[in-house]
Amino acid sequence: MSVSNLLENWAQVRHEHPNNDKPHDPYKWAMAIDLDACTGCNACSVACYAENNLPVVGREKFQHGQQMHWLRVERYWDEDGREFPDQGFQFLPMMCQQCEAAPCETVCPVAATNHTADGLNSQIYNRCIGSRYCSANCPFKVRYFNWYDYPTTDNVWPAEMQQQLNPDVSVRGKGVMEKCTFCVQRLSAAKVKAKGEGRIVAEGEVQTACQQACPTSAISFGNIVNPESRVHKQWAAQQVELAKDKQDKNEGEAPSELRGYRILEELRAYPSVMYLERVRESAV
Amino acid sequence: YVEANDYMVPGIGVYFNSTCAQCDAGCSVNGRVREGRVLKLEGNPDSAINKGKLCGLGQAGVQHHYNPDRVREPLLRNGNKGEAISWDKAYALIAEKLAGVQGEEIAFLSGGVSGHLKVLLGNYLDSLGTKNHFVYEAIAPSVVRAANVKAFGVEMPRYRFDKAQVVLSFGADFLGSWVSPVHFSQQYAQFRKGVNGQRGVLIQVESKMTLTGANADRWLAVKPGTEGVLALGIINALGMATGDVAELVKGYDKARVSRETGVSTGQIDKIAALLKLRSPSLVLAGSAAEGYAHGSQNAAAINLLNQVLGNVGKTIEAPVSVPFPQMAPSKGNTVALKNLNDGLAAGKYKVVFNFAANPVFTAPGAFKFKDNFAKAGFKVAFAHYLDETALQADLVLPLDSALEDWGTQVPEYLTEGAQINIQQPLMERLHADTRGMGDILLSLIKQKKADEYKGFEDYYAYLRGAVLQNKGALGGGGVEDDTFWNDTLTNGIVKLAGTTTSLAAHASAAGLLLPAEAEADEHFPLHLIPGVTASLRDGRHTNQPWLQESPDPLTTIVWDSWVEIHPKKAAELGIVEGDIVEVTSKTGSVKAQVYLFPGIHPEAISIPVGRGHDAMGRYAKGYGVNPFQIMDAVFEAATGELAMHETRVKISKTGQRVLVVKDEGAAGALQMGRKIAARVSTDQVDLSKEV
Repeated sequence: MSVSNLLENWAQVRHEHPNNDKPHDPYKWAMAIDLDACTGCNACSVACYAENNLPVVGREKFQHGQQMHWLRVERYWDEDGREFPDQGFQFLPMMCQQCEAAPCETVCPVAATNHTADGLNSQIYNRCIGSRYCSANCPFKVRYFNWYDYPTTDNVWPAEMQQQLNPDVSVRGKGVMEKCTFCVQRLSAAKVKAKGEGRIVAEGEVQTACQQACPTSAISFGNIVNPESRVHKQWAAQQVELAKDKQDKNEGEAPSELRGYRILEELRAYPSVMYLERVRESAV
Repeated sequence: YVEANDYMVPGIGVYFNSTCAQCDAGCSVNGRVREGRVLKLEGNPDSAINKGKLCGLGQAGVQHHYNPDRVREPLLRNGNKGEAISWDKAYALIAEKLAGVQGEEIAFLSGGVSGHLKVLLGNYLDSLGTKNHFVYEAIAPSVVRAANVKAFGVEMPRYRFDKAQVVLSFGADFLGSWVSPVHFSQQYAQFRKGVNGQRGVLIQVESKMTLTGANADRWLAVKPGTEGVLALGIINALGMATGDVAELVKGYDKARVSRETGVSTGQIDKIAALLKLRSPSLVLAGSAAEGYAHGSQNAAAINLLNQVLGNVGKTIEAPVSVPFPQMAPSKGNTVALKNLNDGLAAGKYKVVFNFAANPVFTAPGAFKFKDNFAKAGFKVAFAHYLDETALQADLVLPLDSALEDWGTQVPEYLTEGAQINIQQPLMERLHADTRGMGDILLSLIKQKKADEYKGFEDYYAYLRGAVLQNKGALGGGGVEDDTFWNDTLTNGIVKLAGTTTSLAAHASAAGLLLPAEAEADEHFPLHLIPGVTASLRDGRHTNQPWLQESPDPLTTIVWDSWVEIHPKKAAELGIVEGDIVEVTSKTGSVKAQVYLFPGIHPEAISIPVGRGHDAMGRYAKGYGVNPFQIMDAVFEAATGELAMHETRVKISKTGQRVLVVKDEGAAGALQMGRKIAARVSTDQVDLSKEV
């Protein structure tokens, strides 16, 4: 795609959501993560390394902030100055929130990151020139830049380890930005299969790698357009609406008895990931 | 592919079932194979143990297989070097070294083994005329097993987290590294969901926060070693005990218990009230409670609390067992290591074999195991990597990876029913000259009993023969041999009607006596708590880079060891994050970076085990320190197990400081008032309407 072509067809390149003219149909991928079930065990993160060919950068590069974990488990502790964290820690799996109005997309000078029709914030590696504007503009800090050519970096993928790489996912070279894709290779495979059979992807037919590994099933993922999907039901039960930056349930005086929320909703990025608040017993 | 082969047309992934070999929990895996290469391990949904789920440690199994530092051919010591030799020569050498050696002069050290490999190994040892099989695991709930036998009549009952309304865990890290964590995590999820919005409550009592502790509704920093006192104090506060139990706990009034344990009287009341209100509950004794010289007494007190609460039969059920006792797992413990070490020190052994254990790395420094090991005449290591123990061996025999080898495995902790797990190759051997442990044992046993085993060309033939011989008992009665065998391999699991024993459930205080409060040691004022993490365990998988770079959930540190100190204690000592401190015990000292961690008792420090290798390849060697090296040899009084939490230490600053490599982020662990990871208390939320 030439730059002129890109500029002329900007509207197509950059889908805007939420948008009433172009409703999501038949797919809109979304997630719900129950923080009360999440134990912070990191199984999801390792699954992501295995599925998406993430390089292990090593101690020194990690120290420089060059780690490539598309999915990290954030850990927070209380700020109330008590002697012990006697209600435990707060864990939060953080990956690309696949925002509907993604701040990263608007700043990309070459439209390497754009929105797909099924609601993914996609990254086109071949188009990326490595300006890193997207990363600077991401409120969730979930975009990762290839500072090095990891395939040729010592001990990242020695000959034997290369054999583990997933052929469905490209290995990224130096100078490109990368991020969580909601395991787009799995989504594509499922969509192609369903299309061949003249139907849409059914609930449960496709899982992301993190969801699949999670020992407590804290992560649910699916097509939120499908009213039968668990994700749809969870978002509905929690009264979190994709296209709102302020949820109705939070408008009243009394605090909501529901746990669903999206992170930094006030930035109007419209994330596709809903979290459910961690619960702690009040009786002990 | 980094570089795809020319003209290569990618195929589609196929899946084969096998069994995870990264720990002994026996999760079934589903290996994704494409173009003849295994790409990824996923959980097998048909397994009652892991139901399609898999932890990070398990998934990293592919990096055990593809590890660039695997041993590729038999190596014979020549001075400080290993010289490659042929298998024939290696077998001949073993035969030569065994010639004329008495059975009692031979020792075989192994990690936990089960299934047909255990049977074959037993037969081999019989053929050598030796009874010296030392089954050693550096980290195992051995004291709890012994205490459970006393309390319930079984080593490991079946715990039903999913049926409990309250779980009170004394240092059992069941979400991280204890017994069968993937299975327990699934039950935990059900326990948290509860019934009708009545969510399960987790209270964790320990001196150093574990992953489970980090998920507790209430985490209590108990003074190291006083877990049993707190358990008896809760029994007292409950006021439900009768007979000799009531007599025993009479002295454990709240004031005394609070003084000894550091848990407030108000908190003891709250716990007792909750346990009374919500039943059934489940009380667990974990490694933090059993790791002391009086560990059995701690565990007994904790089990007594279970009995007083009437949990036996409700959340503590009788376990299922596999109806082939010869295949049941030999469970490793540390008594075995001590016995072996004593024998080695006395120069008793002429030939020593080592398989699936790394005692030179994991033996406590006070054992001087490396020196004693050197006294053995001829040392054979069956190894995947040149780990610390293999480096000391005279002959190293390279093993197939778990993804290349045949086998059967019986998990210690069975869930819904009995099962035997099948391990099968997911791909061709990566290296031509490695061998399966079963094949090696078969070759060795043929040296002694050629006639008996001549019908088995290899271990595969042996395994197939053994399974088909018991076809009827394995649920294949009337099915053709080939069909049954193929089905077995396809499923990866043989499900069986297990036998269930019953539990003894009488509450008795007989023999229960907790020691008086320990005196402070002025030279070594701090308790050293070895941290056991879910991904590194005893360090046998530290060379898997995914695990090295997977941040420790609690500290977010990667690729290194650290010393956890409570911020209050650190301030007292003038220590800040990143200070390199020297931690000294009676046995030795290590130097490591400090991390200020609020989840630890101020009188304790913790260093994680698993790192600090000086061998084992590029991803393990030189990262971190090994706290096993400074552990004192203190033993649990009743069982003789190593008391892993009994080492006392002092710390001193070295004047050096480093940047701690961690994933914590620029804002530390703080949310700065934003709603990122939010929390709500149960009285503000209505869970009954949730999907």
